[in-house]
Amino acid sequence: METLLFEYPAAKTVPRRAHVGVVGSGDLEIILEPSPEPRTHIVVRTGCEGFGDTWKLVLDRFFSANDVAATVTINDFGATPGVVTMRLAQALEVSRGHEENQGEFC
Amino acid sequence: MRRIKESFVERDARNRAKAVLDRGTFREIVGPFDRVESPHLVMQGIVPQSDDGVIVARGKIAGEPAVVISIEGKFQGGGIGEVSGSKIAGALEFALRDNEKGIRTRAVLLLDTGGVRLQEANYGLLCIAEIQAAIVALRRYVPVVGVIPGKIGSFGGMSITAGLCSALIMTREGRIGLNGPEVIEQEAGIEEFDASDRELIWNTIGGAQRHAAGFVDELVEDDVDAIRKAIHAACEKGCHDKPRSSHVDLYGSLLREIDPAQPMTPVRFREMWNKVKGGNSYTHKRREGTKPSPKDGELASRGRVWFNLLTGRSQPLAGEVPSVLCADARIGEERVRYIAVVPNPVSRFPRARQGEVGLEEGWTLAKYVREAVEADQDGDRRAIVAIVDVPSQAYGYLEELMGIHQACAAAVDAYATARLAGHPVIALLVGHAISGAFLSHGLQANRILAIDDHAVHVHVMSKQSAARITRRHLEELEEAAKKVPAIAYDIRSFSTLGALHALIEGVNADAPGEEDRAVIQAKLCEAIISARSASRDLSSRLSSDEAQKGGRAASILVRKRLAEQWM
Repeated sequence: METLLFEYPAAKTVPRRAHVGVVGSGDLEIILEPSPEPRTHIVVRTGCEGFGDTWKLVLDRFFSANDVAATVTINDFGATPGVVTMRLAQALEVSRGHEENQGEFC
Repeated sequence: MRRIKESFVERDARNRAKAVLDRGTFREIVGPFDRVESPHLVMQGIVPQSDDGVIVARGKIAGEPAVVISIEGKFQGGGIGEVSGSKIAGALEFALRDNEKGIRTRAVLLLDTGGVRLQEANYGLLCIAEIQAAIVALRRYVPVVGVIPGKIGSFGGMSITAGLCSALIMTREGRIGLNGPEVIEQEAGIEEFDASDRELIWNTIGGAQRHAAGFVDELVEDDVDAIRKAIHAACEKGCHDKPRSSHVDLYGSLLREIDPAQPMTPVRFREMWNKVKGGNSYTHKRREGTKPSPKDGELASRGRVWFNLLTGRSQPLAGEVPSVLCADARIGEERVRYIAVVPNPVSRFPRARQGEVGLEEGWTLAKYVREAVEADQDGDRRAIVAIVDVPSQAYGYLEELMGIHQACAAAVDAYATARLAGHPVIALLVGHAISGAFLSHGLQANRILAIDDHAVHVHVMSKQSAARITRRHLEELEEAAKKVPAIAYDIRSFSTLGALHALIEGVNADAPGEEDRAVIQAKLCEAIISARSASRDLSSRLSSDEAQKGGRAASILVRKRLAEQWM
């Protein structure tokens, strides 16, 4: 297991906390919580070691497109970049009020 | 217009719980934002999940207060670790407390689990014993409804748990069995069970067969509405006077009808079940073969040695099932019933000849314990001492087909019922105390005593099987055991978890003499007296010094959080 930390500047707070996904094969769990500080703080724990650069690319892209002042906790069980991006988008969606969608398509 | 079915199985654990509760009443407690995750997985380099794979939700079912517990099969195969297990046990304990206070609270278990999480081994075992204790107690107030939707099913210790439920609901995709197909193949060989044969698996332990053979109450479609209706109906039915796990006579007659030497098919077993259930004896009487008598050496076991020593017997008892010894004796003023499971090299069931808890052993344990409960109904409750030296449960095809999980549930139920009725139940560990066998024979005790000896082991699976299932090398496993005492095999590691009332030093476990007997009798006596004056649940395992010093830190934390959020 490896723990990776990332941080991005951010201005917009998210409306409410969100939890999506599961730490199951090829998937991941994301917890997104509003933060009063003007930045995104991300902690990734992953069972697949040595993919720090890939994580950086995926997260750089997502958080340059999405301004989110939040604390993000990621527990990963071998999700591909596509799944990671989709789950991040889902977490944002749930946070913005689409409560009913929570986890429904996993 | 035809209604389109809405799959229950495809939902994740949280959305299953939402589907079961009345619309808009779902309230998760100790959820992902509380981050009570497994401390033991992280130590072994395994990524944890923020809810540890168990969802506990308060809400209403058909307008009545309820708790729904839902296991996430996608996280670590739904395995029961210290946190996930304590969430289940704790939630059931709070439901029990509410019902005792007159606040009717319904309880539903959505099971999707491989059983004990091997990475937390003995924590899983202890938690499952606590879950089972809570179900047997709670079941007296409200029906405890179990649902096995699939796709994993309910295995290991949690199949025994399912066997304790007041009502059990399954889909065709669900499976229930004590030993998973891979484990049977590993332990007993591919001739015994081919784990790659899907048809064989579903015909043996799948929902349809289990329903037809009487192990399940309702077989339902994989449809949210159908499952919800089945749960409502089970809740409405009220408490069962005689849950399945108490049908000792019925299953006793069924076992007597069986000739394990003859091939048995799922269809034939269904027929036998229907005849026996209807009160008809099966027409084909089993042929009594000439049994070779076992040689003395083959019979030797620590369980037998200690049984003979403590009961003052030198000859084995001639019971109907020779592998379960039972006798009453006295320690001073205390009346004590001693029960031991021992090898029987000529057992009718070839997979249960080395002292394993098999079909006959499970139901016979239940019979001997229940006899004492009934006989002492109006008077003093005698103590019951389980002498524990059990290498494992029996791994076999016939065992699974005929519901070894239910046989184990019967034993668990009997010991728990005896404890709740006021019998001091003491487990004395003199040899191996492994897995489903230990759950069935020992883990429902008020007090657990163990001899401090290198051959006294507590564990959930042989090292070889555990390595195969968790995909680790034996060396990795042994390395991990140094950091996490719960996955070690020795009794001293186990004692750090706080479940032992006493670890008894200076006793010769292999060849005990008079002095050893006196030491053990004194310890038993002390344990019996202390059990008589204490509560009848298993809470002493969490209040012991070792547990409080950190041995059960996560279990205690989970219950504290549950208490804060239960309402």
